[in-house]
Amino acid sequence: MERYTPGSEADFERLYVNSYRRILGTLMTLVRDQATAEDCAQETFERAYRSWKTWQPEAPAEAWLHRIAINVAISDRRHQRIRQAGEMVRRLGRPAPGPDPSLVAERSELVAALKKLPPKQAAALVLRHYHGYTNREIAAAIGVPEQTVASRLGAARKQLQATLGRR
Amino acid sequence: MSDIERELELELHRALDPIASMPIPPRRAVVRARGARGKLLGGAGAAVGFKILTGVAVAAAAVTVAGAATTGSLNPAVWGQQVSQQVENCKDDLTQGQHGIGACVSGFASNKQHGQAVASAARLNGNGNSNNNGNNGNHGNGNNGGGNGSGNSHKPTANPTDEPRDPSSHAAPKVSPGP
Repeated sequence: MERYTPGSEADFERLYVNSYRRILGTLMTLVRDQATAEDCAQETFERAYRSWKTWQPEAPAEAWLHRIAINVAISDRRHQRIRQAGEMVRRLGRPAPGPDPSLVAERSELVAALKKLPPKQAAALVLRHYHGYTNREIAAAIGVPEQTVASRLGAARKQLQATLGRR
Repeated sequence: MSDIERELELELHRALDPIASMPIPPRRAVVRARGARGKLLGGAGAAVGFKILTGVAVAAAAVTVAGAATTGSLNPAVWGQQVSQQVENCKDDLTQGQHGIGACVSGFASNKQHGQAVASAARLNGNGNSNNNGNNGNHGNGNNGGGNGSGNSHKPTANPTDEPRDPSSHAAPKVSPGP
């Protein structure tokens, strides 16, 4: 595991390079599109940078970042609901943009289904099945009991099955 | 691992792995709020600091100008050389065995008003013990350099054109003969 010193500018830059893609991957399943995921990733690192001096090295730095990222995504979803009405009005009458072949994640049915889950459930699923965290590590990362992680995973799988099964 | 979990992993990797090949953008800069120190330095503190610096600069310039005006040179060593020269002149003027060189040299010093100029500069500077007043041997007037900034031991006469005073009423300067 990479070691970082709280407050070190160089270490934060290293943390950014080492974990940016994984954080972005998690966010891709939590927010509506890649551009938003990239924005949220930057917001995550901004928030992390502000607290970098007080970061406790006992917890893995990437788990801490994921916790921040999940909170950023939840916050973004709240704002998205407010924005959505306005955006729909603006898009009326315009032709739909053509699909971008590079945005595989955005076309994925599973990722689309994950976006419909509560963010904490989706995050638990991604941390478990994409990043390979154990339930204990997820519990430490998002600051909940291990039992809560297990129940969120169970609920998420059930809802995913229901969503994907209907298609 | 159940089938749904295995499918989940495969699908997540298929969807999200392309992200791993994407270039990492530069990190967005974090704009920090200015702290109390920044506010002090940037606001009224900057004005106060500027005034203090200006005051110091003006005082330093005054010392330099005063020195240049009295000796005709920016170099304080010139003063010492002039006094040494005057001592030699006074010696030459005196006949064999005659005393009174102190009055002769004191007159030169008083006419030059060096003490007054240095004392004024020191007062401006707010530091009577400033090294700028050259109260050491550089001026060749060791005890009379006006080290306290008041210039009282090298007290100038009321009129700069006054004749040299009687050495009995004015402590004769101890002048080092110079090289």
